[in-house]
Amino acid sequence: MTSQTYLRSVAASLLRLALKVAPQDSFGWGQAVLGELDYVEGDWPALAWAFGGAVVLTKHAMLSLILPGRKRPAINSGPELFAKEGPMRKTTLAAIGACAAASLLFFLAPVFRQAFQASLAQWHGLANFTRFGDRRPSPALEALARQAEQNHDAEGLAFVAMRYPKESESARLADEAVRLDPKLTWVYAVVAVEHPMLPQVEIERLIPKLEQFDPENALPHFIFAEAIDIDQVLHAKVPKEASDESPAWKNAMASAFQSAKLDDYLDRFKALDRRVLLRYRFDDLCQALVSSGDWYLLPSYSAWDSYRYADLVLQSGETLEARGDLIDARDKYLAVARFSQMMASGGVHLTNRKVNVPQEAYKRLQAFSEKDGVQEQARFYAFLAAQTVRADENDRLARQNRFPVSSDVPRWDANLVKTSGVAIFLCAGILLICLVHVIRRRQFLAPNSTGPGRITAGFGIGGAVGLLLSSAALYATYRPYAEIFQRYLHTGDESQLPLLSSFLGHSGILLGFEGFRAGDVRVYFWFAVTALCVLALLVAVIPFFGKLLRPRASI
Amino acid sequence: MKTPRLSPQTLLLLERFLSRPAAWRYGYELSRETGLKSGTLYPILMRLAEHSLLETKWVTTEDGVPPRHTYRLTPKGMELARATFVRSRSSRTTRQPALAGGSA
Repeated sequence: MTSQTYLRSVAASLLRLALKVAPQDSFGWGQAVLGELDYVEGDWPALAWAFGGAVVLTKHAMLSLILPGRKRPAINSGPELFAKEGPMRKTTLAAIGACAAASLLFFLAPVFRQAFQASLAQWHGLANFTRFGDRRPSPALEALARQAEQNHDAEGLAFVAMRYPKESESARLADEAVRLDPKLTWVYAVVAVEHPMLPQVEIERLIPKLEQFDPENALPHFIFAEAIDIDQVLHAKVPKEASDESPAWKNAMASAFQSAKLDDYLDRFKALDRRVLLRYRFDDLCQALVSSGDWYLLPSYSAWDSYRYADLVLQSGETLEARGDLIDARDKYLAVARFSQMMASGGVHLTNRKVNVPQEAYKRLQAFSEKDGVQEQARFYAFLAAQTVRADENDRLARQNRFPVSSDVPRWDANLVKTSGVAIFLCAGILLICLVHVIRRRQFLAPNSTGPGRITAGFGIGGAVGLLLSSAALYATYRPYAEIFQRYLHTGDESQLPLLSSFLGHSGILLGFEGFRAGDVRVYFWFAVTALCVLALLVAVIPFFGKLLRPRASI
Repeated sequence: MKTPRLSPQTLLLLERFLSRPAAWRYGYELSRETGLKSGTLYPILMRLAEHSLLETKWVTTEDGVPPRHTYRLTPKGMELARATFVRSRSSRTTRQPALAGGSA
């Protein structure tokens, strides 16, 4: 075969291929172009001729998909001349089926299932009218709890206990986990921190276990002090001054003051999480990230309220100093200084807007040293006093830079994910309505009908293409966040987790309701739904009343 | 009467049809005479046929050779083509003096 005849055969093949996708009404025209091919002079012109015809046929094929009812008078190709048949509607139906199937195939990918869950997160808050937030665990967490209990997996149980929304069940799971593995006693601390509304009796049961497990740690004492504080708030008996606090509170804080360290168990929490997440392939990201970012909060006493007791100790030192009891006064200042250093090692600075407690303590100690004539020690205390100011400033800056405020990407991505989720439901609904319409039409209205009508087919292809596009958009938008999570799981890389947290935070807000309070969103949303329902009812009912009220014509 | 959009290419094609109104014309022949590529020619032929301005016929030449499609204007197509060319000629003749006057 020469190269020239090869080109001509390529041209013929190209046209035949285009004829395969050509709609019925363009098929004869395609054959017309093919019929002329043998008469075109020159092989390259023949190829150009075929290419032009193929482009026209492909364009018509695409148009017939978008506008299935669009018809042009077909030229009769005649069975005796050509043997191509197959109504265009079959092409449309095949396209609808292919798009719907491709969309469903997305669900096979775990990343897409996660993305789909994330797109649904915006609706979770709408049905929640309880006072203290959603008290129901997610289905994924329930499933994990069952699996962990069946396997007698202490870490799995601990994982669930630290997330379970109901206090009593959370404490029970923690008990079970600790029974299986006493090394997990620290889980009680996380459970108590996550459930500040745990009954006082339950706190009093857990604290001794924690103290026995980790006697050096200040955290159990802080938890206990906070529980007393919450109890006072609930009974509306909040003391105005720290000096008016109950002896139990003062004892708890004094014990915290004497502790050697502050361990919030966050490192153990994260390590356990990563092991359990990998073991169970747990894909509920909101639950998975509880131990990351800022989702896990320390009790307020370990975070900032300790300055109240520290200030109380400082004042007692000043009183002693005024009385001339310099040795005891110096001990008080040293206690505050030591405590503030212990807290600073845990990343907590004992300051509020009014008072920098450690700085005050160091200044007093500096003054004592100067009186004693120990200048080197005085300079050291002065340095420490200045350092507390710098540490405070650095801490403030670190908090400001914790989230990449300048980046709007997670917010936009979350909006895209939410929109895609809505579009998926909308398109699936349209497809379902089309399907029901076709079935009804076949069964009741037009049993001999060969296929969907023009409008139904149009909506069907629109719904199917929309479903495919929104599924693809959802997958593509979410995928980078899934990768961030996988990187965290496998390597412990937390650098991108703030982005993921920000994305998940925005995903939980109902589309179009950013900036509203959660309670207001629920009210406005259900008001809008009710108004639309009433409107729809009116639209349905008014014609009926109109017929009743219309005067009947007399014959 | 709803008529197709008469683009310069359509006018060119109609002109070729009018040159031999009774003859059946092949697609490639029209392409050579007008210089239109297949991707332009056939959509125009389709539109003309859609508006019943063109009639089509398959011609089987010999065994083993694919049949060829031929075209000629319908009486309605011929009427439209002639009317179009008359209008365009008259508009040219009325415009020319005005242009000439304007430039003088």
